[in-house]
Amino acid sequence: MRNQNSSLLRALRTLTMTALFTVCLLVTICFAAERFFEIKAKRFVYTPNIIKVNKGDIVNIRLISEDVTHGFFLDGYSLNTSSHPGQEGSLKFTADKTGRFSFRCSVTCGALHPYMMGHLFVLPNSLFMAGAFTILLLGIASLIFALRKKQKDERLKLFGIIPLDLRFPLTKFKPLRTLLKSRWFPFILIMLNLFIFTVILLAGFIGGLSSGSYNFGVMLVWILWWVLLMMFMVPIIGRFWCMMCPFPLIGDWIQRGKLINVGKQKSWGLSKRWPNKWRNLWPLVVLFWISTWFSGFFTVKPFATFVLLGAIILLAIIVAIFFDKRTFCLFVCPVSGFQGLYANFSMIGVRSRDPETCRKHTLKTCVVGSEKGYGCPWMEIPFEMNRNTYCGLCFECFKTCPYDNMDLVLRPFGQDLFVEKRRTDEIYHRRGTDEAFKAITMVGIFLSFFLAFQGPYGHLKDMVTAKTLKGYLGYLGESFLVDFLLIPGSLLIFAYLSKKLSKNKEVKLKDVFVNFSYCLVPVGLAIWAAFSLGIILPNGSYLLHIISDPFAWGWNLFGTANFPWTPVFTYAMYYLQVVVALIGFIFALDFGFKFSLKTYNTIEEAKRGWVPMLIYLIVIHILFLKLFVG
Amino acid sequence: MKKNELAAAALVFLATIGTVLGIFGFENFRKSRLYTVELIARAPDNGNWYPRKITVPFGKKVKILIRNIETVTHGFALPDFNVAVKEIKAGEVVVVEFTPDKKGAFPFMCTVWCSDQHMNMTGEIVVE
Repeated sequence: MRNQNSSLLRALRTLTMTALFTVCLLVTICFAAERFFEIKAKRFVYTPNIIKVNKGDIVNIRLISEDVTHGFFLDGYSLNTSSHPGQEGSLKFTADKTGRFSFRCSVTCGALHPYMMGHLFVLPNSLFMAGAFTILLLGIASLIFALRKKQKDERLKLFGIIPLDLRFPLTKFKPLRTLLKSRWFPFILIMLNLFIFTVILLAGFIGGLSSGSYNFGVMLVWILWWVLLMMFMVPIIGRFWCMMCPFPLIGDWIQRGKLINVGKQKSWGLSKRWPNKWRNLWPLVVLFWISTWFSGFFTVKPFATFVLLGAIILLAIIVAIFFDKRTFCLFVCPVSGFQGLYANFSMIGVRSRDPETCRKHTLKTCVVGSEKGYGCPWMEIPFEMNRNTYCGLCFECFKTCPYDNMDLVLRPFGQDLFVEKRRTDEIYHRRGTDEAFKAITMVGIFLSFFLAFQGPYGHLKDMVTAKTLKGYLGYLGESFLVDFLLIPGSLLIFAYLSKKLSKNKEVKLKDVFVNFSYCLVPVGLAIWAAFSLGIILPNGSYLLHIISDPFAWGWNLFGTANFPWTPVFTYAMYYLQVVVALIGFIFALDFGFKFSLKTYNTIEEAKRGWVPMLIYLIVIHILFLKLFVG
Repeated sequence: MKKNELAAAALVFLATIGTVLGIFGFENFRKSRLYTVELIARAPDNGNWYPRKITVPFGKKVKILIRNIETVTHGFALPDFNVAVKEIKAGEVVVVEFTPDKKGAFPFMCTVWCSDQHMNMTGEIVVE
């Protein structure tokens, strides 16, 4: 009796609580509150940097500047105000769009002005919820597909539809082949870039230590070039940039003694061979990582961009004098590594058409060169090339092949990531820890960059720009920790779990680790593309100014010099970032199970071994989602 | 073949040295027609206006090219001749024009809060 009573009481209490909660919820929804925020702006941080309101709230913002004139532009709502010491700015609006929106400084306030931002949350954050839900759903769906698989496929198919070994020779079109065989191609594109980079260097030098946001060098390199590279070139057309990069031009000239004609094949330089133990991506992994140490300078200071580009050009010449052919591009250029790795994902590649023709052709002119062209400057073996990592698309092999047996092929994404090892002794055909760490560090560098340059945290910006030595060392330490310990460590743990769960005793842990690390190729491409969206959409309008007035001399070449800073599509941007990240995730899911099948002997092992990696991918993608919109 | 090589070398020359010479040539030509005085805008703790004192002749149209070579936004006002620029963003250049119709020394100043010393960012135009 007593027992019954108490349970009744408990039920009643629960009911009351639920009713109360519902009423509270209804009140918040129906009677939106009026909220007041006092935001202090100081170079380069807002305090508070994160504010939260509910949907429907009327938001009042007072902007108080504590040092110089600052602005406040709210993404998604496209509202703008500004304040200088002694005069407040104010905004009043109804928070009718949910999600996370950045507010950014809209009055150039110093070197790091483009990175000064904070976050406004309009709750509930439905975009984040929907994104996280989609990630889970996709993960579960992919698991179901994987578990239902009865046997290994004869032919790998992208998403189970497009055969991964598909190739369409673009050079079937005669005009394209004629173009690629001409000695003027890609020379003419290199000339165009030589001109553009001359202007960039000059603008960087003249711009000195002024603000980067109105400098031709800084904007063209770090907004246009980087964004084009990460969003379009690398994922679709691979090392397309390497094809038209002007930096090795002088080195080539010194080595060949000719600019465009074919002289003798022997180099005029010292032609030393790059040491064997460094003939892989490791030097590029380390060099790119080191160059990110200075990202807080060369993305904001024109002169720093000048110094960086100048150093790369000088280095290219010095390396060309001492070493073989394109040793610089292969093993020294900092941006070559990720282009090479990611080019394996891209849709184009240079491949020989008929292996039989190549086999019969005993004088391998694509390797040793002929009077029509040079032996592969990238020291590849064009006639049996099956991966893109070390192919710079210079098209010399098209010129040297007497049988027109080279093709520029269009193929499905990620083909090269699955090719079988042909010769393990040859680096060009190898999957290895060097490429694995390239994929890993690219994710780590993305994390550092995103938090510092697109996050609301002022102290991180102080750290990357070396405001104090201690802070700067902290940034370097953090970067090392994340790139070389945390991400590889976590991946190694999940690789270990995968191996354990698969119950396969023979497979080496290293192989499991390396194979699964290639999942990070589409992931890395996607998050960098999403990162680039966060640069180009808010800040792309600077480009209109700088093309009209490249040297800040008051020119107005195209009549756009006075075009004001105008962020575009800032509402759609967050949706686009989520979509792009999800596309990367879908590729990673599809590739991941295929890597599992490659790694383990039987399909049952592969299914069990896939589960930990699937969990890993879900976790990191929810983390990325949190960075972008959560 | 020899011709190709020469053409290529000419292109390289054009794209590098030619570009630089062309840019400076154009700028010098433009400068010679455009303005009489160049004024550099910097916050007081970073060098202040340069030059701080500009001497101009009476009755002749004056063009001042104001260059903000810093990382913060500045403004420009010359109240006595009704000349003002609300905002000169970092890296931007503006040209102001006026005809001095009175003699004497007239102050000009920055109108955007650019540093703690903003109030000291002033200069003088002397009309003789």
